[in-house]
Amino acid sequence: MTSTLLRAYIISCVGDLWSSKTPLPFAPKIPLAPTNHRFSCGMATKAVQFKGYALTDPSKWNDLQVIEFTPKVFEPEDVEIAITHCGVCGSDVHTLTQGWGESKLPLVVGHEIVGTVTRVGDKVTEFKIGDRVGVGAQRGSCLQCRECKDDYENYCPRSINTYNSQYPDGVVAQGGYSTAIRVHERFTLPIPDEIESRHAASMMCAGLTVYSPLKTHGAGPGKKVGIMGIGGLGHYAILWAKAMGAEVYAFTHDESKVEDIKKMGADHVVNTSDKEFHKDLARTLDILLSTRDVFGDSTPLGDYLSMLYVHGRFVTVGIPDADDTLPPLHAFDLVPNGCLMGGSKIGSKKECLEMLELARSKSIKPWIEELPMREVGKALRNLKNNAVRYRYVVKQDIA
Amino acid sequence: MSKSIQFKGYALVDPSNWSDLQVREFKPKNFEPEDVEIAITHCGVCGSDLHTVTQGWGESKLPLVVGHEIVGTVTRVGDKVSEFKPGDRVGVGAQIGSCLSCKRCKMDYENYCQESIETYNGEYPDGVVTQGGYSTAIRAHERFVFPIPDKIESRDAASMLCAGLTVFSPLKTYGAGPGKTVGIMGIGGLGHYAVLFAKALGAEVYAFTHDATKVNDIKKMGADHVINTSENKDFHKDLSGQLDIIISTRDTYSPQTPLGDYLSMLFVHGKFISVGIPNADNPLPQIHPFDLMPNGALIGGSHIGSKKECLEMLRVAAEKGVKPWIEELPMKEAGTALRNLHDNKVRYRYVLSQDLA
Repeated sequence: MTSTLLRAYIISCVGDLWSSKTPLPFAPKIPLAPTNHRFSCGMATKAVQFKGYALTDPSKWNDLQVIEFTPKVFEPEDVEIAITHCGVCGSDVHTLTQGWGESKLPLVVGHEIVGTVTRVGDKVTEFKIGDRVGVGAQRGSCLQCRECKDDYENYCPRSINTYNSQYPDGVVAQGGYSTAIRVHERFTLPIPDEIESRHAASMMCAGLTVYSPLKTHGAGPGKKVGIMGIGGLGHYAILWAKAMGAEVYAFTHDESKVEDIKKMGADHVVNTSDKEFHKDLARTLDILLSTRDVFGDSTPLGDYLSMLYVHGRFVTVGIPDADDTLPPLHAFDLVPNGCLMGGSKIGSKKECLEMLELARSKSIKPWIEELPMREVGKALRNLKNNAVRYRYVVKQDIA
Repeated sequence: MSKSIQFKGYALVDPSNWSDLQVREFKPKNFEPEDVEIAITHCGVCGSDLHTVTQGWGESKLPLVVGHEIVGTVTRVGDKVSEFKPGDRVGVGAQIGSCLSCKRCKMDYENYCQESIETYNGEYPDGVVTQGGYSTAIRAHERFVFPIPDKIESRDAASMLCAGLTVFSPLKTYGAGPGKTVGIMGIGGLGHYAVLFAKALGAEVYAFTHDATKVNDIKKMGADHVINTSENKDFHKDLSGQLDIIISTRDTYSPQTPLGDYLSMLFVHGKFISVGIPNADNPLPQIHPFDLMPNGALIGGSHIGSKKECLEMLRVAAEKGVKPWIEELPMKEAGTALRNLHDNKVRYRYVLSQDLA
């Protein structure tokens, strides 16, 4: 059953046939002379070359090679962006290692993108050349279905992921460890002046992915929010949940993070290496947000669920490798408090704008480590080994 | 002063013969000032009764009288009782006690109290075992006694008090009503009530059954759409993203049960609520976060309902003329009822008439 679902999920990501392994419209090569772009809007800026650090050999998953690639065909609703920064996300690791399934090759990952607008199509109304903007984990959707019209475009069945997916015309979507990207304006976010680019970058996926469920499930004054796993996503969850007025319980197995977590603002820090950690917290939390992306054969889900108050929600944003299912669940685990267990997938533009306003108005800054983009392989390796404190952001250095 | 009541009932005495119930006298709860004593006229037969007597939910006490869909007449009230008087027609459901002082009890979530006492197979703090409604009488704290509206007959009210309430609570909690689409999986005792109440609340109803013989009945119950899941293995595909709530009354699962397919029928942040509780050795199928991502759906449980919800349910039932589809038997045939329930033969709820006193 799970492999069927995995296939279905990949299909929804790819937007095209799983069985279609048509040769890609380009091959990895050494950078050539810049391609000339003609502008329909009549404004001249320096032509953008599309190049990035790409996966070419999955057995060397973090040894990325510079390639040129064909960008999306420019359309009237599109925005072209010269990338300055890109965050390094767990999704990048799961994709490159093939943990989520076979990826396209060659593949440029990265979906926490910030840069400057270099070109806008005729129908673009929200942006102009020179604007500072961001792009997250989604770059397309059908824009017509009920989900898209209800500001749930992140749940559109024809959603296009920022990388490792395909446009209807066959062009492969390549991500942000690169010089530039073209994106429909609906999936382009304006960055407030007060937020620096290096801080905004990882808000585009990590920040939004935890903001959305916190908002959806009512985090705010009077609510108790638990956050499980304090990495890139988890640390953002603490920052946002506090800013939204909730009381925050942070759960970590890593003693070395405890001081940082207190500085981030958590009201309580619980070390989960103590197997009885859930007992004093029975029926306490309104929301428990889990960022875990490794379960293995570990703590029974019932222990986590027992910490929820009546109709409380356990929401997982972490997505493990395809063969790593959630621990076993019995109806008995859900009945004593009528609790719910759910998932969440990034967030909508509407939520992203709200999140950015929250960050701007409360001067919220993530805890990042910066590297030049050529060292992204090192960042990926450290992320896989949980050695980052708490998010890598790489600076574009190809163009 | 009314004729004093003898407390006796049809009890489980030997789990290897779980449908062979023997008449036994039993010791009732010690009568206290907040208590109501009820001469039982009717009791519904619930899946819980079956899971309990077969020992599927674990070792039960012995001897044990089950039954928690109880209706009868008040014969006696304690000094502090303000809601009832002798002669009133009342009911009792699956819960007979709670602490009444915790946050949950004070917020009308007494069904989720950690010190909740079940109507049978439970124990009062003084050690008295709770015995259920396949019997002549019961004593209960007035908080757990429900007044039955005049418009609802006793034999119809009985099974509302567990089956009805257990589905009414999540329907109400998760917003079933005009403009909402509700799916109900499994059309037995609970499932058929879910169809009746979801319609009464104004929702659009999809009923899912694997049993072709039930389809016409389900249409008569008012379901807008009936889907036969054994005929149409891809039933979920046409319904992708269509439902706001799914109430699942399934009380068995296999590792191959396509839970992911069911979840795919939910719209964004839709809820799949299981009210069915399988045997202890029967977990849900394995779930991966991939199953929950495409629509941000949630899987939940629900445990009976509160008195507040029960009163509202009875009001809706009276107002909209909700009548369950029952089969009646004398209480001495409780064993037959349990066996038929075990074999999925009931259409759609057994109600027993008390015949001991």
